[in-house]
Amino acid sequence: MAEYENPQLPEGINVSPTHPLKDFALLVAGIGALLIVAVLALSLLAGQLARHIPFEQERALAASLGRWLPQPPDSPLDQQRQHYLQTLTDRLAGAMELPPNMPITVHYSSSKTVNAMATLGGHIIVFQGLIDTLPSENALAMVLAHEIAHVRHRDPVVAMGRGFAVLLALSSLAGFGDGALQQWLAGVGMLPILSFSRSQEEEADRTALQAVLQLYGHVGDAAAFFEALARRQSLPESPTLFNTHPDVEQRIARIRDFSARQVNSDRAPAIPLPAFMKAA
Amino acid sequence: MYDLIFFLVLLLLGYVFGQRAEKSHFRSIIEREKQLRDILVFSERRIPDEDKLDGTLVCGSVVISVDFFKRFVAGLRSLVGGRVSAYESLLERARREAILRMKEEALRSGAKSVWNIRLETASIYKGAQQSIGAVEVLAYGTAVKPR
Repeated sequence: MAEYENPQLPEGINVSPTHPLKDFALLVAGIGALLIVAVLALSLLAGQLARHIPFEQERALAASLGRWLPQPPDSPLDQQRQHYLQTLTDRLAGAMELPPNMPITVHYSSSKTVNAMATLGGHIIVFQGLIDTLPSENALAMVLAHEIAHVRHRDPVVAMGRGFAVLLALSSLAGFGDGALQQWLAGVGMLPILSFSRSQEEEADRTALQAVLQLYGHVGDAAAFFEALARRQSLPESPTLFNTHPDVEQRIARIRDFSARQVNSDRAPAIPLPAFMKAA
Repeated sequence: MYDLIFFLVLLLLGYVFGQRAEKSHFRSIIEREKQLRDILVFSERRIPDEDKLDGTLVCGSVVISVDFFKRFVAGLRSLVGGRVSAYESLLERARREAILRMKEEALRSGAKSVWNIRLETASIYKGAQQSIGAVEVLAYGTAVKPR
């Protein structure tokens, strides 16, 4: 038995010498990056496809989502304001040559929120807080035209398609958050979920300027909303909602640039807002 | 959100306790391997001088659980392929521990060597969803002592 022996073997023959945390970090970073790229690609693709959803379908979807739009106003004053907004919107929509099957519905809300939003189904919500910051009808028309442009460019449905694709991909990959999809669908009409990209905002600004120019013959006061916004942002307590918006200064500059290129820029007087539009 | 926190806590617990257990297990394995160096083990089937020896079957088995951290890393690894180092150390521990337990049994029976040793592995909870799983390694062989 002399020829048989058990030699002492060195350690680490059968185990890779990598530290478990290094292995973990590499895997998480690599797979995470892949996942982000894949989800991003999916979201862009879904946005492209959502653009082709017929507007009637979008309206039906918006109608089926339940009571997420503001209640119709009940006081006569608010009804008068709503009527005024709708008339102005219809004039703008006429100037913008919207497709015939794309009606725009304005909803007036007496809330003090300084905002206006376009959402699914051609619904636009305007808050009293926004109207109070505007000096003239021209400024209000610019904001409305901007929101109409979002609807015309199908931005709300694109944003919805993207959000839906991302959520679907993440929840099916991770297997968690069964309730999240339903929650998201229920809250889809809310603005924070439908966020538009910077290029979509710029495109909407461009279209809106053209519409305002066509309707009034000049684009005076068009930058008024953004100027008011810039003043508010310089305050320490700026509302977080606006922080997602692209550079306000840049937008003001772009509007002024456009206005400077018009022959009769700023010479024509702005039309004042009717007295009933201002909060008492 | 709570799902994520729960998951991260599990991951941390798995890492801390799993690594501690693994380190101390390896220390114990190396220590006991030194103590049992006198018991020789061979995979050779034919035992030399068979007619002068008495043989008995000895075996040692061990079950080691995968921790949450290892399972997660291995799950990620299964997406991209490559060496699953998280499981390599686990199986290394299990193999050496099983052989050690077999050697201890051989020592108790008064044998000096074990021949024809074989290793079997089995995965416990195989295929069960959402379970951590464990691995069993069984070592067996023929322990011989002079007649």
